[in-house]
Amino acid sequence: MKKRIDKISNGVNILELTRSGRARVLVIGNHSGIIQSMLDFDFLSGKEIPSVLGIVAGNRKAEKYFFGTKEILLPCYKNIQIASEALGSKVDWMLNLQSGRRTFESTVSFFDFFPKSLGAHIFAENVPESHATELISRFGKKYFIVGPSGVGLLIPGALKLGAIGGVDAVQIKSGALTNAGNIAVGSTSGGMTNELIHAVARAGKRLSFAIAIGGDRFPVVSLTQIFALAEADSQTEGFVYFGELGGVDEYEIIELIKAKKFTKPLVAYIAGIIDEAFDEHVQFGHAKALVQTMDESARAKREALREAGVIAPDTFPQFLDALQKLPGGAYTAEEMDIEPLQGRQKSILSTRKVSDIDEGRIFVKGKKLSKGKENAFVDATLVALLGKPVQSPITRAFTEAVFEMLIDHGGNVSGAVNTMITARAGKDLVSSLASGLLTVGPRFGGAINEAARLWISGVVSQKTGLEFVAEKAKAGELILGIGHKKYRVGLPDPRVKALAEFATLLKVHPHYDFARSVEKATTSKNGKLILNIDGAIAALLLDILSECEGMSQRELQELADAEFFNAFFVIPRSVGFIAHFMEQKKNDEGLFRLPDELLFVRAETPKKTKKK
Amino acid sequence: MSRVKITEYRAKKLILGDAYAGRSLSGISDVGFTKPNMVVKVDQGIKKRFKQGLVAVNVSSKEAGQKVREWEKRGFSHFLVEPYVSHEESEEQYLFLERVRTGIRVLHASSGGIDIEAHPELVKTYLINPALSYMVVPGIPEKFLKHLVEVFEKNFFSFLEINPLVVRGDEVYILDAAVLVDSAGIFFVKNGWNEEDVVEGKVRHIAEEKVQALQKTTPASLKLTILHPDGGLFFLLSGGGGSIVIADEAELNGVGRSIGNYGEYSGGPTREETHLYAREVIQLLLNSPAKKKALVIAGGIANFTDVKSTFKGIVDALSECASTLRGKGVKVFVRRGGPNEIEGLLFMEEYLKKEKLFGSVYGSGAVITSAVDDAIAFIKK
Repeated sequence: MKKRIDKISNGVNILELTRSGRARVLVIGNHSGIIQSMLDFDFLSGKEIPSVLGIVAGNRKAEKYFFGTKEILLPCYKNIQIASEALGSKVDWMLNLQSGRRTFESTVSFFDFFPKSLGAHIFAENVPESHATELISRFGKKYFIVGPSGVGLLIPGALKLGAIGGVDAVQIKSGALTNAGNIAVGSTSGGMTNELIHAVARAGKRLSFAIAIGGDRFPVVSLTQIFALAEADSQTEGFVYFGELGGVDEYEIIELIKAKKFTKPLVAYIAGIIDEAFDEHVQFGHAKALVQTMDESARAKREALREAGVIAPDTFPQFLDALQKLPGGAYTAEEMDIEPLQGRQKSILSTRKVSDIDEGRIFVKGKKLSKGKENAFVDATLVALLGKPVQSPITRAFTEAVFEMLIDHGGNVSGAVNTMITARAGKDLVSSLASGLLTVGPRFGGAINEAARLWISGVVSQKTGLEFVAEKAKAGELILGIGHKKYRVGLPDPRVKALAEFATLLKVHPHYDFARSVEKATTSKNGKLILNIDGAIAALLLDILSECEGMSQRELQELADAEFFNAFFVIPRSVGFIAHFMEQKKNDEGLFRLPDELLFVRAETPKKTKKK
Repeated sequence: MSRVKITEYRAKKLILGDAYAGRSLSGISDVGFTKPNMVVKVDQGIKKRFKQGLVAVNVSSKEAGQKVREWEKRGFSHFLVEPYVSHEESEEQYLFLERVRTGIRVLHASSGGIDIEAHPELVKTYLINPALSYMVVPGIPEKFLKHLVEVFEKNFFSFLEINPLVVRGDEVYILDAAVLVDSAGIFFVKNGWNEEDVVEGKVRHIAEEKVQALQKTTPASLKLTILHPDGGLFFLLSGGGGSIVIADEAELNGVGRSIGNYGEYSGGPTREETHLYAREVIQLLLNSPAKKKALVIAGGIANFTDVKSTFKGIVDALSECASTLRGKGVKVFVRRGGPNEIEGLLFMEEYLKKEKLFGSVYGSGAVITSAVDDAIAFIKK
């Protein structure tokens, strides 16, 4: 049986754990203002890496944010499962910004995939009561969940989980959110949480933590739990509380004080005297048995708190005065330069460093050629395309082989023809090359990538070649990577035969095997439907990247989505097209015109003549 | 999430299903029954209907029809008619269910009936865990209680009061039922209640009605209640908690009688939404016959509501009647903090000075009650 991690009921100090670095956040849903404010808080707190590890939202792969003045890309994940595959057990907190309709499901899913996390904040205001009570019974003892509703949890210098304390850098400074002190703030109102945070700062004090409990009927972390946390926290020396009329939570605080379970100085303001100005009391018909013992009016709760020894002034200005007398030193405003964080302009284009132009290079040494790297061009090309150095000589050798093999396939093919015609029209090298490259697509040259997609889907689906072919035939789809004009069963394509030897260097080659099983199915119908060069390159490259470069199925899919496999055609074939261009320039045969006898002009369909 | 009342008809239909013989009447006075003994009631979520004469018991269907027409003349529009259940007062039980943190709290009294409020000592309390099938309340048939909890869960009930309830062996008769549902549950309830079953709170003023309609079109929060239409102090407040603190300050300073309205906007309304909301408050101010009038635009330090864009919306509304406001000597007092605070406050200050409406303008560095204190001093002068 799994050991239950009752973090909350076992008195594990969530604050201490978070202060010691367990402050890494996964955001569910999107609210760029709140996320940016968390990153600004991290930066101004002097953290070296942002607390937000990623966002579960939308169908993008990443979102742009600032960390300080530097732009960063936060990875986005389609769902929580994919996030957990990418982030493992690194996540400590969830910030759930989804609407109340979706909150329950995503929260349950988060704790399923991140059982070792500490807690969460749920931002939505319209979470159904029964969903909230279900979250309490499932997770209330194991995790620290602030909300539903409210603005979240703040642990100065360590964690800003939500909108708490404001969303612009000015407020991070004026609320002194980055420097820890000894005053805890708790409030049922999100807006008043920020007001109290600023009041504490104006009084020259600093926070130990702040929580907006939220105005919902069933917050997962209860007021009692927050007071117990403040009591247990060695940094907290005083508590500032804001409550409102309605509900009986404040009587729970009184019980804690009476039982000596909360012993620290408490200053409280209970709002809602205005209710007395209304003609009728706005209230729900609670059972009289309950209301008889506990009065939910602001005045009654305030007086009950006073009887228990709490400082609970009548007016807000008096409350602010009382707050001054809480323990804690007189801090002065932090030196904090927030100017660079204001008016930041997001870039509209971003990329990575493809090659190091500053790297010192030596080609000739002591009047002698220095010993260069083997396969240097191929090596540099793969680094540029994959974003990391290749591990295996097999990958290099295979790429080298493909590049060499695909430089040209004769002047008859469409790309070469286009290049030559353009050259003869008097155009320049780049135009002629571009016109040749523009023919690369599903019928010419572009089949490698499509074949790669097919082999990936085949391997993932675990279908047999026969089933796969039947399915494609039924859907009326072509199988790219299969079929050749000239070669057939019994007369194999020599290039495919040569490349196929690479398979013998691998331990397993599922994509290649699958491609061959498809070939077996297609050739049983037509001997010309053999695995062609495009299909063979795609299958072998997938197997090599997987085995020799350790790429996951997801990474291979991403490469296919980015048309990486077509680069294996475009790169060498550009050389071929340029060669055809140069040949045209050299011979200069003048403008190309198709001879009349080679152009078949279709007879016009006779027009119906109108009868006069 | 908020708890809203649904009609008694829908409540009984959900609990009893096809077995319930009652009908809901709206806009028709034909009760559609031929039985001699009927009960007819106004079904608009009104409390203490008996005392107000809005219930007629043991009447003929003809009499029931007469009652409905009589009530229609008094302005009521929704009624319930059902067969009368003849019973002794001593049979009347009280049953109450409410969703609490740890499950469903059940209050039950096997006697007392409609006078239960006078006899709290008769009420026994139980706590039910809806996930468990075992639930017992002595005096209530187990099968019925189980069914009741199922209906409660499935339909996102928050509160259910049956008073009186008559039990005869396994048979139960629900003579009167009141249900509050969780409005956030509406997306999850299938074949249960819908928006049309919700009893709207009584709207007393056209401005309240307009704000209620506006609220339905935005995820932000917009609330307005009129207190004293002839008051001198009108509030354009922001934030659920901050608005209460500011209104409290007026009440505590003894000018509660001068408060024209209470309300708040929060949760990041757009410039346009704020414009429409502010227009209603300003109109109330203009309509008040009070000699000295002040508008208080105040709130706490917002977490994410943009001060600049909401203030632009307020200025849009002020601009529609700036000269009238100036003519009546109205002054505007402001205290606000939050995102884009400095730009928002500067923009507001410049506008108010230009239009000669300036009272005072404070930011997050000042106490939250600064503006309302100035406004109180102004109207008292």
